[in-house]
Formats: sequence, C-alpha cells, structure tokens
Amino acid sequence: MTATSIEKMKRILVVDDEEDMLWMLQRKLNKNMTDVEILAARSGEEALEVLATTKVDLVITDINMPGINGLDLLIQIKALYPHTGVMIMTAYPSSVYKDKAMTNGGLRFIEKPFDIHELREQVQEVLSRNEQFRGVVDGIELLDIVQFNGLSKSTSVLRVKTGEIEGMIFFKDGAVIHAMCEHETGEEAFYKIIAFQGGTIENMRGVESPMVSIRKNIDALLIEGAARTDKSNFASDSGKQEINPKPNAQRHNRIFEESPVNIQAIAEKTIPSEEKKMNKIEEILSEFTNIEGVHTACLVGRDGFLLNHIARQNVDPEMVGAIASSGFGSAYSMGDQLGQGDLTMTMIEYENGPVMFAPVGAEAFLVIIADKETNLGWVRLSIKKNSKTIALNVSL
Amino acid sequence: MTKAKILDIAHISFLDMIKSIITLSGPASAKGLLIRNALATAEKIEEVEYSSLEKYIAAIEDASNPITRIEGITTHCGGMVFGLEKCPFEGSINSYKKVFKDMPEGYASFTAEFNKSSPITNKYRVGEGAGVSPFCSVHQPLRSAIANKIKIGGKSISISQLGCKSASGIKGIAQKWLNESGISLDKVDKILENNMCCYHMKIKDD
Repeated sequence: MTATSIEKMKRILVVDDEEDMLWMLQRKLNKNMTDVEILAARSGEEALEVLATTKVDLVITDINMPGINGLDLLIQIKALYPHTGVMIMTAYPSSVYKDKAMTNGGLRFIEKPFDIHELREQVQEVLSRNEQFRGVVDGIELLDIVQFNGLSKSTSVLRVKTGEIEGMIFFKDGAVIHAMCEHETGEEAFYKIIAFQGGTIENMRGVESPMVSIRKNIDALLIEGAARTDKSNFASDSGKQEINPKPNAQRHNRIFEESPVNIQAIAEKTIPSEEKKMNKIEEILSEFTNIEGVHTACLVGRDGFLLNHIARQNVDPEMVGAIASSGFGSAYSMGDQLGQGDLTMTMIEYENGPVMFAPVGAEAFLVIIADKETNLGWVRLSIKKNSKTIALNVSL
Repeated sequence: MTKAKILDIAHISFLDMIKSIITLSGPASAKGLLIRNALATAEKIEEVEYSSLEKYIAAIEDASNPITRIEGITTHCGGMVFGLEKCPFEGSINSYKKVFKDMPEGYASFTAEFNKSSPITNKYRVGEGAGVSPFCSVHQPLRSAIANKIKIGGKSISISQLGCKSASGIKGIAQKWLNESGISLDKVDKILENNMCCYHMKIKDD
C-alpha cells in the first residue's frame, strides 16, 4: 500500500461491549470497501484511547456500556474531536429517533438489531460525503443529549454551564425527574436550561436526584422546551448577543436558518397577494409531507374550517379540520381552565401513528398526521421553523 | 289549581349544551361546530326553483319557501331586503328564561368570535357584526346555505346578513355586507325596529 493510499484510507471505530457484535462489525462492515479500515474498542475508555492516537473519521458506538457509555463518549467527542462523525446504536425503540433518523447529514441512529447491509449502505453514504459530515458532532444540542439520556435509560445528572449560569437536569432510569437552575426548580428550570446557547456539558452517571420535581414525560418536556426556546428567541431583541454562539451547528442552523423577524415591519413593508400567500403555505405544507412518514399536513382555522392542505388520498381534509378543531380546542381550553397558559404544541399518539397540533398565530393551527415510524423530531423542528412564516401568510 | 306549562327540555338542554361546547373546546371551535351543523342541515334541504321573483317573494311571505319554513314568516321590505319578525330561537330563549334568570355564561365570547372575519363567514356573508348571540351562528349560515339550493328563473341566489336584534333590543349591523350590497344603514336600522333579523337577497348572474 502506498503512502497516498494510506492517507486516503478512512477509519471507522466501532465501540461495543458485546464481543459478538464487535466481532461481526469488525469482520463484515467494510466488505467491498477497500479504503475503509475498521478499528474496535470494547468500551468508551478504550475508544478514547484510540481516538487520542489515531485519526478516526467515524465512530459507531453502542449507547449502553459499563464505564464511559455511548452518551459520555459522544460528549467527549463533541469536546475533543468535533470533526469526527458519530453513529449511535441503540436497542431502545424511540418515537423520535428511528433507524434512518437524521438522514439530512447530522448524527445518525441505528436501531438494534440491524441489517448489516443497511448499516454498510449508511456508512458508505456518510463516508462518501465526508465534507458535509464534518463537524456534525459539534452541531449536537442539549436537546439531543437530554434525549440520548432518555434513550439510554440512565440515572445521571447533566450539568450544563453557560457563562455564569449553571443548571442541572437529573435523570432516573431515563426519565427527567428534577431540574434546578439559579433559583428555580422543576419544569421551569428544565426549560431555562435547555434554552442555554452554547456552554459546557458534563454528564455524571449514577448520581441520584435529591428530589422529584418533574413528572412530565421526556417527549412532552422536549416539545414544550423547544417551543419555549423558539418563542423566546423570536421575542428577543434582534440585537441581542448570543452567549458563546456555536460556529458549526450545521444541522440546527439548517433548520433555524431564518433569523427572528419583525412581523409587523414585514407586513407593513410588503403585503403579498392572496395567491402568493397560499403558494407559500402550500410550499411549507409540502415540507412537512416530505418528511418520511408524514402523510397529511393541514392548515386549519381555529373554527375547524380548512385553509389549505396536502393530504393522503384516503384522508378527508375537511373532516380532519372539523375533528382536529375539536381536539385542538379541547387541548387549548384545558390549558386555559387549568391555568397552564396558551397551548404551544400537542401530540396524540395512536396505534398507527401520531397526530400533532400546533397553533400558528392566533387564528389557525397546523395538523400533522404521520405514520408511527416518523421522525417526530423533524416534524417538531419543522413546526418551529415554519410557524411564524405560516402565521404571516394566514389572512382570514 | 292551574297546571304549569310544561317546557320543552330540548330548548333548555340546547342552550346549556352550547355553553358546554364553548367551555370544553373554546369559542372558535364551538363556532365552527355550530356552523358546520347548520350547513349539514341545509345540505339535506331539497333544491327548489321559482319561475319568477314575484313567485319567490310570495313563497317567502306565505312561508312555503324552504327558508321561511325553517325561520318563519318574512316580509319583503323592498330593494330585495327582507325582515324577519321573530327570531327562530325565540321559543328556546323564552323557555330557558322561564326556568333560569340569566342566559348561560360564555355567550358573549362566542358571539364576538362569530362576528370576527373568517373564510367561512365570508363565504356565507354572515357575522361581521350582525351576530347578537350564538344562535346567529346557526341561523344565519343555515339561511345562506339554503339559499344555495334555490333558483329563480334558472339563476342562483345569494343572501347577505345585514343586521340582527337581540332579545334585549341591541342591534348588530354588518357594515361589510351593507357596503357590498349598497343598502343604507338607515334602512336596515328602520327594518330592525319592527323585526329581529334583516338580510339582503341577490339574484346572481349565472
């Protein structure tokens, strides 16, 4: 092998405490890939030793391992080797992260048991577009890490620090049970922490929470947290300085590429025609239905009459509007009656998949109907990205 | 000993049911529900055609027209403007008030919601200030939707709600539909002196 060919050689580090899995991947993963070398580590500690001495292009790691687990490893890689890609293997099915989740170039998940051919295809795809894959680990946000802790069913505390502010989120068997930040505890502290922009993250496993102040499930917390963060970003001054802004948050920058906008100023400057508004809304709805598994996206007036839609053939969108209005109205009223404030987003899970509702402006709401395999993280992020634009284009 | 008059339980229950819907799903959703219900009712009405405007007006005034069969006798006040002497929900309101001192809560927020511009109220030319109670959200779209089932001399008609008067005498006017139909506020105001409801009918150029 020449020096040039060695330089071109890509290295994949497989990390798993299961000997059989490690053996199988080491032996079969690079079949027909002459320029790919497979390295193996039986633990997170061993993986860090390899990473310290060898340039690795991609790490494929299990989540649950004794000692440094997959999440700890991910955090270390984020801090020390931000140009190394990471794939996570998980045996825990999740409504948010399924096998090919995050296929837009970010972090990837492989659900165990997996088909080696599929994994090989994904690896080849990732390595073939090396440029886009670079730095993805640095794009991981706290929301992702909270979710990983949930997936790994860990009992731990996540300590997050940004500037002078420090917060802690406690997990018990993967559930968020307590959070504290400055003078606040419970859900409010949780939402405050996950709104941090940048900072340092430390995950300490085995640490038991001193109390239980949160009883909401992790998905609901993340949805609410993401919505609040979005709302807060939107409401903030455009001149506000971000705390330690991240230079390479490619994945999320792609999603939040729109800067906070002054709705009033835009509306005064230019009022697009009804046709243009409807075209824009249709374009956004198609963005939802382009997410794998999402088959229907409807924009509905709060009275339940349909404003626009893209629906699967056997779905009656008028009926969706009418029924969803009742569900959305009930959820909204419940928040009001229970003193929980305005509804920001809600999801109802059914046998065949979820239905998500999200208000857009004061007069309408979105209904997203999906199959159960759908990556709800993408749906949620698309809602966050587009709700302001839709609200601007809804004229009743 | 005189026996008390037995009230219609449907009247009492319907008014409270509207309140429950408002409480459970909010005024916007409740508005949509009542309008959809009214449109579904109208959909069941059979189509009818009149050979002339005179025959149509005669049918309106003798209550043989599908609209008047539901809402009661109507008077043509000239210029295609019609006045309805009694609110079709008058019986329900009176029954309720015989039992309870006040109307159910939440009606004001519902009425405000109904009067807000929306695609559906624009489509049927209702609301826009002409709503004075939740009953208007049933009555006005129902009438406009039934109008879609009527033809005069082979042409379709449309109805715009101009105004309405509450049981307590407060008048609600739809300036938007007044402007569109070219009817003066003064005329509508006068019609509402002796009527509870006022609308404009237009024969469309099909």
